[in-house]
Amino acid sequence: MKDIGQRFDAIIIGAGPAGSTAAYHLAKKGYKTLILERGRVPGSKNMFGGRVYIEPLKEIYEDFEKKAPIHRWVKKERISLMYDESATTIEIESTKSTSFTTYLTQLSQWMANQAVEKGAILLSEIRVDKLYRENGVFKGVVVEDERVLADIIIDAEGINRLLLEEAGIVERLSPDHVALGVKEVIKLDGKNINQLFGLEDNDGLSWVLIGDITKGIPGGGFIYTNRDSISLGIVLMLGEAIKRIDRHIYLLVEEFRNHPLINKYVRDGRIMEYSTHLIPEDVFALRPPKLYYNGLLIAGDAAGLLLNQGYTYRGVDFAAYSGYLAAKAYDYAHNNGGPTEENLREYTRLLENSFVMKMLKKFSGVSKLMKKERLFKTYPELINIMAGKLMHIEYDSYKIMEALKEAKKGRVGWISLIKDLWEVSRKL
Amino acid sequence: MSSETKVRKISRIEDILNNDVWDVDYEPHIIVDYTKCKNCEWKPCLRLCPAECYTMVGDEVLFSYEGCLECGTCRIVCPEKAIKWSYPKSGRGIHFRFS
Repeated sequence: MKDIGQRFDAIIIGAGPAGSTAAYHLAKKGYKTLILERGRVPGSKNMFGGRVYIEPLKEIYEDFEKKAPIHRWVKKERISLMYDESATTIEIESTKSTSFTTYLTQLSQWMANQAVEKGAILLSEIRVDKLYRENGVFKGVVVEDERVLADIIIDAEGINRLLLEEAGIVERLSPDHVALGVKEVIKLDGKNINQLFGLEDNDGLSWVLIGDITKGIPGGGFIYTNRDSISLGIVLMLGEAIKRIDRHIYLLVEEFRNHPLINKYVRDGRIMEYSTHLIPEDVFALRPPKLYYNGLLIAGDAAGLLLNQGYTYRGVDFAAYSGYLAAKAYDYAHNNGGPTEENLREYTRLLENSFVMKMLKKFSGVSKLMKKERLFKTYPELINIMAGKLMHIEYDSYKIMEALKEAKKGRVGWISLIKDLWEVSRKL
Repeated sequence: MSSETKVRKISRIEDILNNDVWDVDYEPHIIVDYTKCKNCEWKPCLRLCPAECYTMVGDEVLFSYEGCLECGTCRIVCPEKAIKWSYPKSGRGIHFRFS
């Protein structure tokens, strides 16, 4: 194996939100930074549901809201419980917004460009084969039969973290610790989107649907409006899906798209792209034992730094912020004698003191809720049956408690219902 | 029949995947150990690979890597750990544009 002549201060593996943000901040401080991306361009191996929370990104990128590829500002949120051909929906509409929709493929390119503008070197179409370690210190990466050396390696390789597995830092992912997301992006005229969803200009909608969209498998459906398209897909807790899925997973997406309450929004569209990705769920179970080693920091999905809040994910802002903190931690280590494990522990301190670890701890109970079938099957059923009794009036009318009593008959007892309500209200 | 109309609107996976772009590698990035595969009655790969890269032909699993979306699901759901999986080399494989 030969070393390439150049030596870098930092090598970043993966030009996703975590990697490019780390590179941006390292290059900004003058560190000689190399980003290695296995895709043809940054973002070409990446996908997400469709929405980004902006506040943390405004802190870490200059003029983010003016320059970033923002499609629509989410001003309308819908959460629907689905059963058969009915939906019970909460809609929250506001003139303010703290999140936007976009394509992660575009946003990743934009972030990588910011890093390049600050002086980072981006090499695409490079797949890192191995982390290179010498006497317990990470010193570089191996690409085919060449070695590239650096003072620090920031591993932002994503959820499958094959490199960390090869290095013996983590075990193979367990299906119980992740979810599987599958989506279709459907081309629709922007004006048409506004009309269909009651939106104006570049206002956007985020819609989460829970219930028999996933045939009772814990998870849900989602819809986001982009500028001239709609992202529509499902998420399934993979460990539960293995046990219970009774048809091909793509059919769940297709049946969702063809649902009589959904199809009216998308029937004029055509599918532009079909994509899929794993999502960290039980982040405390899947994350590496440490996020800092001699010469190595781990950020983004590879580190399990994504928040499932139950009705929404925060992936991009968490990943980007962890990349930002990794850059900060390296800077600290560099100024205090070098990137030893002891010095790089700063990364964990920064994470612990930031919203990233605080929120992950606060919502640590959610991954257990995500395995409760009753929440994804029984309650959406019960609520829709109850609403049906109240609203579909023929001769006799129902009072609320009477409708509830009828709806819960044979589905769930009072004690379980109250226990579940208590659990949900504590964990969410 | 209304149920027939509904079924007709469901696209075939091949047609959906036709919207995606790949630069297929010459060598497969996934290798399936069919001897292990034979012991498995469950075969969660058949339903859970979103690109339907795994299909049954007779009583054997047929695998094709060309349409792989590189999510990594098959590798972790395989009860026999029969799937040797890496990312395609240098820029090859799936190329997402609008996701």
